[in-house]
Amino acid sequence: MENLSAIKKEAMEKIAACKDNGVLNQLRVLYLGKKGPIQEVMKTMKDLSKEERPAFGAKINEIKQELSALIEERKTVLEEKETAQRMEQEKLDITLSGYTPNVGNLHPLTIVQQELEDLFVGLGYSVAEGPEVECDLYNFERANIPKDHPARDMQDTFFINVEELLRTHTTAVQMRQLEKYHAEGKELIKVICPGKVYRRDDDDATHSHQFMQCEGLVIGKNIQLSDLKGTLEFMAKKMFGESRVIRFRPSYFQFTEPSVEVDVSCHICGGKGCSVCKGTGWIEILGAGMVHPNVLKMAGYDPDEVSGFAFGVGIERVAMLKYGIDDIRNFYTNDLRFLKMFNRFE
Amino acid sequence: MLISRKWLSQYMDISDLSINEIADRITAAGLEVEGIEKMSEGTHLIIGEVLTCEDHPDSDHLHVCQVNLGNRTEQIVCGAPNVAAGQKVIVAQVGAKLPGGEIKAGVIRGQESNGMICSLLELGVDPHSLSEESKNGIEVLTQDAPIGHEDPLAYLGLDDELLDVGLTPNRNDCMAAWAMAMETGAILNRSVQLPQCEGISMQKGEPTTLKVASETDKCPLFMGKVINHVTIKESPKWMKELLAAAGVKSINNVVDISNIVMLETGQPMHFYDKDALPSLEITVKDHLNTTYTALDGVTYEIEPEDIMITNQGKPIGIAGIMGGDDSKIEDTTKAIVLEAAIFHHVSIRNTARRLNLNTDASIRYQKGIEPMATYKAMDRAVSLLMEYADASGIEDTVVYGSNRYEPTSITVSLPSINHLLGTDFAMDEVIDVLQRLALKPTQKQEEITLEIPSYRQDLCIEADIAEEIIRIIGYDRLNATLPTMPATMGALDDRQQLRRRFRQLLSDNGCQEAVTYTLVSEQLSEDAVMALPQPIQLAAPMSEDRKNVRTSILPSLLGSIAYNQNRSVKDIALFELSSVYGKEIMEEHLAIAMSGSLQKSRWQGIDVPADFYAMKGLLELLCERVGFSGKRLSFLENTAETKMFHPYQSACLYLGKELLAVFGTIHPNAAKRYGVSSVVMAELNLEVLLRNKAAKVKYQPMSKYPAVNQDLAFVVAEDVKVGDILSCIERHGKLDKENIIQKIEVFDVYTGEHVEKGFKSIALSVCFQSSNKTLGEKEINQMREVLLSSLEKEMNAQLRS
Repeated sequence: MENLSAIKKEAMEKIAACKDNGVLNQLRVLYLGKKGPIQEVMKTMKDLSKEERPAFGAKINEIKQELSALIEERKTVLEEKETAQRMEQEKLDITLSGYTPNVGNLHPLTIVQQELEDLFVGLGYSVAEGPEVECDLYNFERANIPKDHPARDMQDTFFINVEELLRTHTTAVQMRQLEKYHAEGKELIKVICPGKVYRRDDDDATHSHQFMQCEGLVIGKNIQLSDLKGTLEFMAKKMFGESRVIRFRPSYFQFTEPSVEVDVSCHICGGKGCSVCKGTGWIEILGAGMVHPNVLKMAGYDPDEVSGFAFGVGIERVAMLKYGIDDIRNFYTNDLRFLKMFNRFE
Repeated sequence: MLISRKWLSQYMDISDLSINEIADRITAAGLEVEGIEKMSEGTHLIIGEVLTCEDHPDSDHLHVCQVNLGNRTEQIVCGAPNVAAGQKVIVAQVGAKLPGGEIKAGVIRGQESNGMICSLLELGVDPHSLSEESKNGIEVLTQDAPIGHEDPLAYLGLDDELLDVGLTPNRNDCMAAWAMAMETGAILNRSVQLPQCEGISMQKGEPTTLKVASETDKCPLFMGKVINHVTIKESPKWMKELLAAAGVKSINNVVDISNIVMLETGQPMHFYDKDALPSLEITVKDHLNTTYTALDGVTYEIEPEDIMITNQGKPIGIAGIMGGDDSKIEDTTKAIVLEAAIFHHVSIRNTARRLNLNTDASIRYQKGIEPMATYKAMDRAVSLLMEYADASGIEDTVVYGSNRYEPTSITVSLPSINHLLGTDFAMDEVIDVLQRLALKPTQKQEEITLEIPSYRQDLCIEADIAEEIIRIIGYDRLNATLPTMPATMGALDDRQQLRRRFRQLLSDNGCQEAVTYTLVSEQLSEDAVMALPQPIQLAAPMSEDRKNVRTSILPSLLGSIAYNQNRSVKDIALFELSSVYGKEIMEEHLAIAMSGSLQKSRWQGIDVPADFYAMKGLLELLCERVGFSGKRLSFLENTAETKMFHPYQSACLYLGKELLAVFGTIHPNAAKRYGVSSVVMAELNLEVLLRNKAAKVKYQPMSKYPAVNQDLAFVVAEDVKVGDILSCIERHGKLDKENIIQKIEVFDVYTGEHVEKGFKSIALSVCFQSSNKTLGEKEINQMREVLLSSLEKEMNAQLRS
């Protein structure tokens, strides 16, 4: 029995001092395996009396269990230590640059166009498109711009021949939509018409022979000018911030009557006056009005039955205001330094 | 158009309003004031007398002057060449604020100077209205100018304030000061008094021998009148001041009257020296082919479409644009012939543009003149000539044709106007507005009948009247509402969705969206890829670079690549979606152009080059993600588009039998022409995708059994295509009729050392998986044998040892 205690003591010391899992395993084999000092003592059991044997056996088992638990405990400690050491060796320099996938982004004009589309689609509008190579009929005639109107002049329009031209406004798409809806027997129209348009302008910081518009058209039974104001106020808030308000100023377009210019309170200074709004607190963003009865008539509608409003916003203009862009040519030069500025979700 | 406080004050009392208030109210009512200017500016000004003027001892051009300012005398150093003792001058005293800055007491080269003797330019007067003399030196006042007068600008009549009003095309009537006055009166709610002279020119005069006629329908009305005696002299001060405010130089009373009348009524007039006219028969003609030297001394080529005023068959003026030198009013003129006529605006516009002659008259004709203006102008001219030019010997007015004008009236309904606007304006306020606008409203229950003045040709329908009412009452009374109508579903259509998906996929995969111009040069048209037939040409292009409507996007995108490469950007990936056009056809295309690396992390050794295979994979990804994959797509050699593409590094992508895209490396010659290096590019026709049916997402049960990977390595002849090897494997990869090939990955293609010349080594990893059992060693080996023997048989492949 004294022998057994000595063996246990020695084993416990060895386990506690073990620094390596391999050595620990050898200890396990030595003390718990078939050949070892404990097994040697076991052999002496046969020399004991029948009465003494159970207690002796139990004692040995108890020691074995104790040692086994100690070994497991020690194993866990050693493993953790090993892992910790290994990880330390795997230390990274976290200041080295990460791998950032090269991701592109949409063109700022697309961003603004999609924003407008989403906003109006949310209000139940469809998005209508039409050809950029247009005929006189839809670009001018139907828009109430008669043959000798200055806007038809060669100065302003890229003509292809007497009948065909590059559309000068997306109003042409509106006129096609009016005709289409009327042909389908519908008296309710809610569309926006985004797209490229062309004017005979020399390109400079504020003029471009090609630019983008987004026009809107609503036709229905009781459409009023006040509905136009509410709709555009909604748009202004979504595009330039919830605290924006709008104001109407009388204006003139051939295809609307009354016609208005729409100003939005300056999103930079909030209306106090700054360089962006030239001190007025207001920024002109679009033209709009009630669809001219002649336009309705030409599309086949009875102006006594239906009325409607139309508006048109310049996409470049909105983008320039939103992002503070000072030269319209930037949109078409495709300088990567410019394009990559619009790489954030907003 | 320019209108000034003095002009407006002739017709109404606006003394209680600042010019800014007037501008704001006019703007709010639709006549946008684009600028407010003072005719002159300066504080602390005074009229002085130069007592002595000595040369500055230390300068070759300065003068030292003693100037009497009434209550004191100051020494002032003056650099003007024309300063002299005895002159009455304008002095800016110390502390004066002038457009150029503040005047301070100082010492100029040792001489004390307490103020400045001013030129009108220094006082901010528009140089256009100044004589050369006035521009080049100090302003010398007349001898009767009162010394010590503290408002010299008012004394000179230069104290006017100008409004530059931008007129919308429907309100060109306001080019006429009288119409502008009526409009301003309505806006400001002031009563307006215009000069009373209606009918004066139609009063019985002396019998006339003047004959006028028009041989062209471009001149429907021509009025002429002979006045046998006039006195040419200086115009009265008020007239000179009004002209100056309008930016017109004063010449003499008769010429000034013709200009004043034009400014007042909008009707250009022409006065001829009666004695300089060859005869008293004036005929308006077109279809002349001649040359003509006008008042400005320039000789113009006259074409048949131009309208000319002729006398004895010879031109005496370009109608509505400019008169001639021979018959102009001189200081010696004794008798005059007055002309007022209507000429067709389109004709005047064409002629003025061709001759590059934009005169006050031609601008007015082009913008349209109100139908009664001709009569109003003749009346006013006669009345002013009688009063300010001693006109006598006035003959009867001779009229050819008519203005074809009938007064109109409109009846509108207030409820209907309120309904259109979404307002609830009361009858009283509406009637008040209509009265202010001189529309002479008469009310009958809810209806109002209006008489439309001749100058308001823009008022035709009820909507026009609705606009008049709300713009005068003010848009601040308009509420913001939303349309009340049945609900509609807003949505993007298939085309719009496809566009958005491609934009997102491409940008997420490293491509940057670009937008280039639709109009391109002849060269870019010729370089079109997947081009539509017959490019559309502009009738009158602005430049060679913007001549044709593009039939393809790629050439434009190459320009953007060149732009960025020239700025030392190496890694570029651009894409653009755009419609392209040919005669009778329109398609939507996608173009992609890339160069350099798509993905890169140098220290990690990551570099995905923008090469043929990157483009191929990208196109496959795009197609796959929108429902077109597998056997529906095929890549064939590019034999058609070899001008822009490297013939051995490009391909055509077909969807079924339709050509969907051409892509590959740029042809070295094209690269040279566009100044780009190592570009891989693609042009894709979206219409093909839109007209074919896309595969839908469909669930397939996942196999419960493990997948096994096997590597195969073999040598084949160099010209054997990997695609054929893959399809051979796919064809034979069947176990008990089940296709167990999940995936084949090529991981090495090698030629060179250890491989016989003319051969290449290929290594593949094939993934086997069955959906109904675990594949054992026996089955895998069996499969491997089958594949290798098939490859050996069909591809002459030799297993690598």
